[in-house]
Amino acid sequence: MATNRFLCEICGKGFQRDQNLQLHRRGHNLPWKLKQRTSKEVRKRVYVCPEKTCVHHHPSRALGDLTGIKKHFCRKHGEKKWKCEKCSKRYAVQSDWKAHSKTCGTREYKCDCGTIFSRRDSFITHRAFCDALAEETARVNAASTMNLAVGNNISYHLMGTPLGPSMAQHFSSIFKPISGTTDETIDQTSRGLSLWMGSQGNNNNLQEIHQLGSVSSGAIFGTDPIVSITNNPSPPQADYQLNWVFGSKLPTSNAEALASTSLPLSDVKESVTQLVSVPSLYSSQQQSSHQAHSSANMSATALLQKAAQIGATSTDPSFLGSFGFKSNSNQVQEGNKYCGLVYGSNTIASGLGSDHHVVLENSVSSDHISTLNQLQMYPAKRRHLQSEDSNGGGQTRDFLGVGVQAISCHPSSINGWI
Amino acid sequence: MVPMFQEDGSSSVTSSSPLQFFSMMSPSLGSPYPWLRELKSEERGLYLIHLLLTCGNHVAAGSLEHANIALEQISQLASPDGDTMQRIAAYFTEALAHRILKAWPGLHKALNNTRIGLVSDEILVQKLFFDMFPFLKVAFVLTNQAIIEAMEGEKMVHIIDLNAAEPAQWIALLQDLSARPEGPPHLRITGIHQQKEVLDQMAHRLTEEAEKLDIPFQFNSIVSKLDHLDIEKLRVKTGEALAICSTFQLHTLLASDDELLRKRSPLALKNSNGMYLQRVLQMNQSTLGELIEKDLGNGYSPSTDSASSSPVSANASIKMDSFLNSLWGLSPKLMVVTEQDSNHNGSTLMERLLEALYSYAALFDCLESTVPRTSLERFKVEKMLFGEEIKNIISCEGGERKERHEKLEKWIQRLDLACFENVPLSYAGMLQARRLLQSYKCDGYKMKEENRCVLICWQDRPLFSVSAWRCRK
Repeated sequence: MATNRFLCEICGKGFQRDQNLQLHRRGHNLPWKLKQRTSKEVRKRVYVCPEKTCVHHHPSRALGDLTGIKKHFCRKHGEKKWKCEKCSKRYAVQSDWKAHSKTCGTREYKCDCGTIFSRRDSFITHRAFCDALAEETARVNAASTMNLAVGNNISYHLMGTPLGPSMAQHFSSIFKPISGTTDETIDQTSRGLSLWMGSQGNNNNLQEIHQLGSVSSGAIFGTDPIVSITNNPSPPQADYQLNWVFGSKLPTSNAEALASTSLPLSDVKESVTQLVSVPSLYSSQQQSSHQAHSSANMSATALLQKAAQIGATSTDPSFLGSFGFKSNSNQVQEGNKYCGLVYGSNTIASGLGSDHHVVLENSVSSDHISTLNQLQMYPAKRRHLQSEDSNGGGQTRDFLGVGVQAISCHPSSINGWI
Repeated sequence: MVPMFQEDGSSSVTSSSPLQFFSMMSPSLGSPYPWLRELKSEERGLYLIHLLLTCGNHVAAGSLEHANIALEQISQLASPDGDTMQRIAAYFTEALAHRILKAWPGLHKALNNTRIGLVSDEILVQKLFFDMFPFLKVAFVLTNQAIIEAMEGEKMVHIIDLNAAEPAQWIALLQDLSARPEGPPHLRITGIHQQKEVLDQMAHRLTEEAEKLDIPFQFNSIVSKLDHLDIEKLRVKTGEALAICSTFQLHTLLASDDELLRKRSPLALKNSNGMYLQRVLQMNQSTLGELIEKDLGNGYSPSTDSASSSPVSANASIKMDSFLNSLWGLSPKLMVVTEQDSNHNGSTLMERLLEALYSYAALFDCLESTVPRTSLERFKVEKMLFGEEIKNIISCEGGERKERHEKLEKWIQRLDLACFENVPLSYAGMLQARRLLQSYKCDGYKMKEENRCVLICWQDRPLFSVSAWRCRK
């Protein structure tokens, strides 16, 4: 590449010829001066354009070099065979075409209203009078005030604990921020995190989102309404965001999401609407009993651990023995009728807590006794059902002992059937 | 069964559950007295565990009569809409029953012929799993962050998703990539799945999102089973940075080995993947020797149930190794593996039964703590997702048994052997993941780091592992 010796002092752009630099300087409103070719040396001009109608046909307007006249001829009188790929311009001379395609699209001035300019001056003129500009500034102003207002709240709701700007800064160091402002960082963070945040049962939040009519760009999994306020509400995003509330618990959001996705999830839609009708009917009723259950119910994991403790989960053949037999020895000592009747080992009974025992002792009534009798009968009935030989056991036979007896044909050898 | 209890006068059925139609199936032994019901629940739970193990032992020993009796007892106590232990027992007994039934293959086939496995149901249940738990989301967060970090500065990124079912992961990645300071790369995602509809849906969503974000994007669909995957179809090009994402897929490859081992002699293994298998053979002389000595022609017979011929050592898995080898051959810049973190691949039934009891107890506990009992979605996840997995683990053997979950340390060994090097998951990713877990406002969800990988736990029980790898030179 030839050197660009002639440099513009304003923008530093380089030119191979001084003349071009001078023309460029006009754009900066700088004084320019084109050097005139000295008429001292006379160049012989012998090439004339063959086209009779052309100005350069006349010898007085002849051109100096062969290439020049060829190019002229093609440009003026030739067919434009070379077409630019990016725009629609056509050229007759290949070198023109090449030169154009180098710069085509590289420098374009685009106004916010969508109009494109290749020249800076025309672009500037347009902008001054463009209506769109006014609208844009109005929108930007509105959004920025909202951001400021809700700014602190965003971080609060997202993080769950009140955070100062320090936390936001911390996040900005981790998440690559677009700009340095705190607001934008929070935006970025909220966008990144809210993608994934979704606690269940946020029914209220979803309703709010629907009311707002637009959902944040980040709320792919999230159902936090505060997040939806923060980002600039732009219509195209709102549409697809509702798609993303797919699978959440609210029926409306599901239906909408499913309706907007065209694809083969029509069966899913039906089953989903079925899904959500049931909980709504029963959820209120179940609440109280659910609470009662959850407070006192042991988790399955805890039960397994307990069973393991009393040897039930070991694959050692003796485990059943310990589970079943322990009870026999301890029942009588328990002194607690229902435990002895129904429940197996000592550890279980004691493990259940003394409060239950207390309850029993305090409120023994005829009802309770009849229930206990019923439970008493249960093991017996089981024995009947299995119709196996059972040793005549008294009521002190433990619940689990029945199982052992029933299954095993040889009560004496527990090991046999394992 | 049911009339017997009503004779006793226990009128507990109606009071325990408003869902009348369910409760008719499962008479609970509770009485109107809450304290008795509480007691009963724990006692019943313990008894259920006892019965399950008893039954399992019988099945393993082939004493089907005794197993039948145990099943009957369990069925009277278990219930898919009862408390946690009752639900777990319901699905485990079903699995055990299926296993017993396979002793009469004709009967088993006849009963299963009219079962329709609706594709839409499968899709739905995967979606439910994604929505109801944070596990997948955490895995996605960690995966995406690892991808972003590995692809810093890359202009052409190609991601291969071994089970492209959930568009949310890649939508999030697209958003993260568009926010890169150097601008988004040219992104290509190749999704593999067995159902074309799922892939079409994914293609549609992702292309839409990429257009909005103005990211040059291309989605390629490959409808294929993983063990029949043709690596050539992936069309990995030179010059692009490759990332592979495997979510709950690798363990299914362990299943094909039984068939292979049964059909071929161990010596024939040298033919394919020469050098690599040589190494495996050297390392596992003893275990393969055992295999040779075992009667490989046993097939699956219920009477000798405990001697099912699955390989003793985790390392002797030819299909898995060759698959990992071919992945390694693609020179991925990153591979992120998410797997269940439990040992459900024991060779004996009882091993698997015990381990599965613990891990599914944790999952069912999680549901109990976060979703109401009457939720139909919960029921569907328990039945169609966990129930099916349990059925596979307990009642299937050999090539059919696909749910061969293994602990993280085994995966680490395996991937290490396949010439992959562990890449620690970044702090940023972990932080995001922790934040996500916290947003669920349930302190049962826990996350811990082990061997530079992440374990997602419920209370103390690790359930899922996420690890990142790259090719070791």
